[in-house]
Amino acid sequence: MEYEPTIVGFLCNWCSYTGADLAGTARIKHRPNLRVIRVMCSGRVDPTFIMQAFASGADGVMICGCHPGDCHYLEGNDKAYRRFQLLKKLMAAYGIEDQRLRLEWVSASEGERFARLVDTMTAELKELGPLKLPPDLSLVPGPCPDPTAVREVTHG
Amino acid sequence: MNQECRIGVYICNCGTNIAKVIDAEGVRNKVADLPGVACARTYEYMCSNPGQEMITRDIHEHGLDRVVVAACSPRMHEPTFRKALESAGLNPFMLEIANIREQCSWVHDDRAKATAKAADLTHAAIRRVARHVPLEKQEAPYTPVTMVLGGGIAGLTVAVELADAGQKVHLIERESRLGGNLGRVDLTAPYLDSARDLLAEKVVLAETNPRIDVRLRSTLTDLMGFVGNFTATVTHQDGSDTEIPVGSVVVCTGYREFDASRIERLGYGRHPDVITSFELEQRLRSGKMETADGRVPNYVSIVHCVGSRNAKYHTYCSRVCCMTALKYGHEIKSALPRAMVTDLYVDMLSFGKGGEDLYRRTSELKTMFLMFEKEDYPVVRAAEADDDCGLLVQVHERLSGETIDVPADLVVLMVGMQARSDSDQVARTVGISQDAEGWFIESHPKLAPVSTPTEGVFIAGCCQSPKDIPDTVAQARASVAMVLGFIAQGKVEVDARFAQVDGDLCSGCRVCNELCPYTAISYDPDEGRSEVQSALCKACGTCVAACPSGAITARHFTDEQILEQIEGVLAWSTSQP
Repeated sequence: MEYEPTIVGFLCNWCSYTGADLAGTARIKHRPNLRVIRVMCSGRVDPTFIMQAFASGADGVMICGCHPGDCHYLEGNDKAYRRFQLLKKLMAAYGIEDQRLRLEWVSASEGERFARLVDTMTAELKELGPLKLPPDLSLVPGPCPDPTAVREVTHG
Repeated sequence: MNQECRIGVYICNCGTNIAKVIDAEGVRNKVADLPGVACARTYEYMCSNPGQEMITRDIHEHGLDRVVVAACSPRMHEPTFRKALESAGLNPFMLEIANIREQCSWVHDDRAKATAKAADLTHAAIRRVARHVPLEKQEAPYTPVTMVLGGGIAGLTVAVELADAGQKVHLIERESRLGGNLGRVDLTAPYLDSARDLLAEKVVLAETNPRIDVRLRSTLTDLMGFVGNFTATVTHQDGSDTEIPVGSVVVCTGYREFDASRIERLGYGRHPDVITSFELEQRLRSGKMETADGRVPNYVSIVHCVGSRNAKYHTYCSRVCCMTALKYGHEIKSALPRAMVTDLYVDMLSFGKGGEDLYRRTSELKTMFLMFEKEDYPVVRAAEADDDCGLLVQVHERLSGETIDVPADLVVLMVGMQARSDSDQVARTVGISQDAEGWFIESHPKLAPVSTPTEGVFIAGCCQSPKDIPDTVAQARASVAMVLGFIAQGKVEVDARFAQVDGDLCSGCRVCNELCPYTAISYDPDEGRSEVQSALCKACGTCVAACPSGAITARHFTDEQILEQIEGVLAWSTSQP
């Protein structure tokens, strides 16, 4: 069977999720490889989510938020962007190819753009093949440290 | 965890909307045995009364404590199913929707792949809902004061109707007078009654009603808070700011006309006798129907679709221009009975009540109708010295296939409507979205035409899309109904999805304080911890993702819930290591 990459999408509720819905209302066909998880804002996307997705078998992760200046929460997308830049560096250190993580701006009216982004990323990942993480490498963070221990450290 | 839950899973066929691409029964079979699933069913229309009753019956009979509905987008029916849960005694937040219509069956053709995706999404919803906890509803008072942006026919209607219902209104108008674009119009189509008459009464009512505070030369520059409890900052041209507490905002900021000089071949700005429809209105109002050099025009040529229905400018129809052009036929003929009127049109869209009748009546005036291809605007040039007209309009006539020089002393360009250049500023200030053309987006095109995703912010009139006066007034009055609904309730439900700080985990680093766009997080120096004021929080979750101690929880979007969802969508993925 032909290799089909799986992409996990984190879409902000206000712009991008609505844009993805619009692609549906307008019947704009695209590749069925993206699995969307709705978040209120792209700023909510914790780097842990992305690493967890890769560790659980995702071949790619796409974060979509409102265009700069259009964030429903004023500047959450800006926070997402800064976090994304840091995470990109970390990913390179893990040997995860650059194409596997994208941050895109999709407005509520850009159903067409959303569909094309899904198609493009799917095609790129098909070319790249499945994600190969070193078998001994655990990306999933360990259990949370004991809360009281944390407090002792921080409050000296 | 899952084993302790009793989850009901409901997969909707949505008639054939979902069923024609997705094998709902197949999805059901795949998820029915997942841990925690107590029952799983498919149905034709889950949102219908029998569909909802199926859920409420199962909640009682199977002792369900959580529900997953795999159907249309949660933006569509999440409130419907939440109500169903509530009616059966479950907390409404014990629900999760898997979007298998808008984001699956409507965008994919491959049945096997679409079904696999729908199963993944449903699986994720099951994993997520297992982590849901009941959230209590919170209420806040509703301030029975409304702000209306724009003093055109839409804004005036909203203001006057609300004031008549005994409510306080602040009417904000950026210009120095009320009336908006309708104030620039002479007669209205299709009944040829005076725009002045329509407006004058409303303007007087707005200006004299003590419940309406009219603020001219003013704009809304900031809107903080939430439905029922906004603080609006209104800035006057002179730079002074006023803060006004309001419950709702109705946006009626209208449109601007297309700039005809963008289409060079039409000669606007080059020939003084090429004028826009608004410039003709001005002449009709003042009764001065003459050319630039003071002659009485013998020929008037009207060009339709200027800037509308054209791939290069605006692809949409501006909806009022054909009717307005037909109206000009009557007005010109009544002012200049001997003038020859020619309509150069693409398609005659004289729709709606009275429209076809107006078309017939105008045809009977012996006006001439010539059709052109929409991407092929006529070319306007100066006439020769021995012509009996000032201009010639060359048109490739579609029906005859001939190229015709139409004589003209006056060329009227039917300029379309476009979003105002400051509409993006307005959208950002009140927190609503715009479509690709800049028009404001409503919550639902059919079912929620004046609501927006920001609760307490409504839209009415041409700021939403081009429309005629009856539709504008209908939207204005619909907004009034929405606002009066809030006022009648006297209170609003506050979103239960705010962020919460766990004081035991907070290290007091204050990273979140700076990140919050709503200054909802404050630092308590005595305790050495930060705190979220739930009423100010809008639940974006930016602070949650940034907290280095993991001390902040986004209610209903917790780390655990999202991580379960990630595991869920990937559990059956083909390339899992």
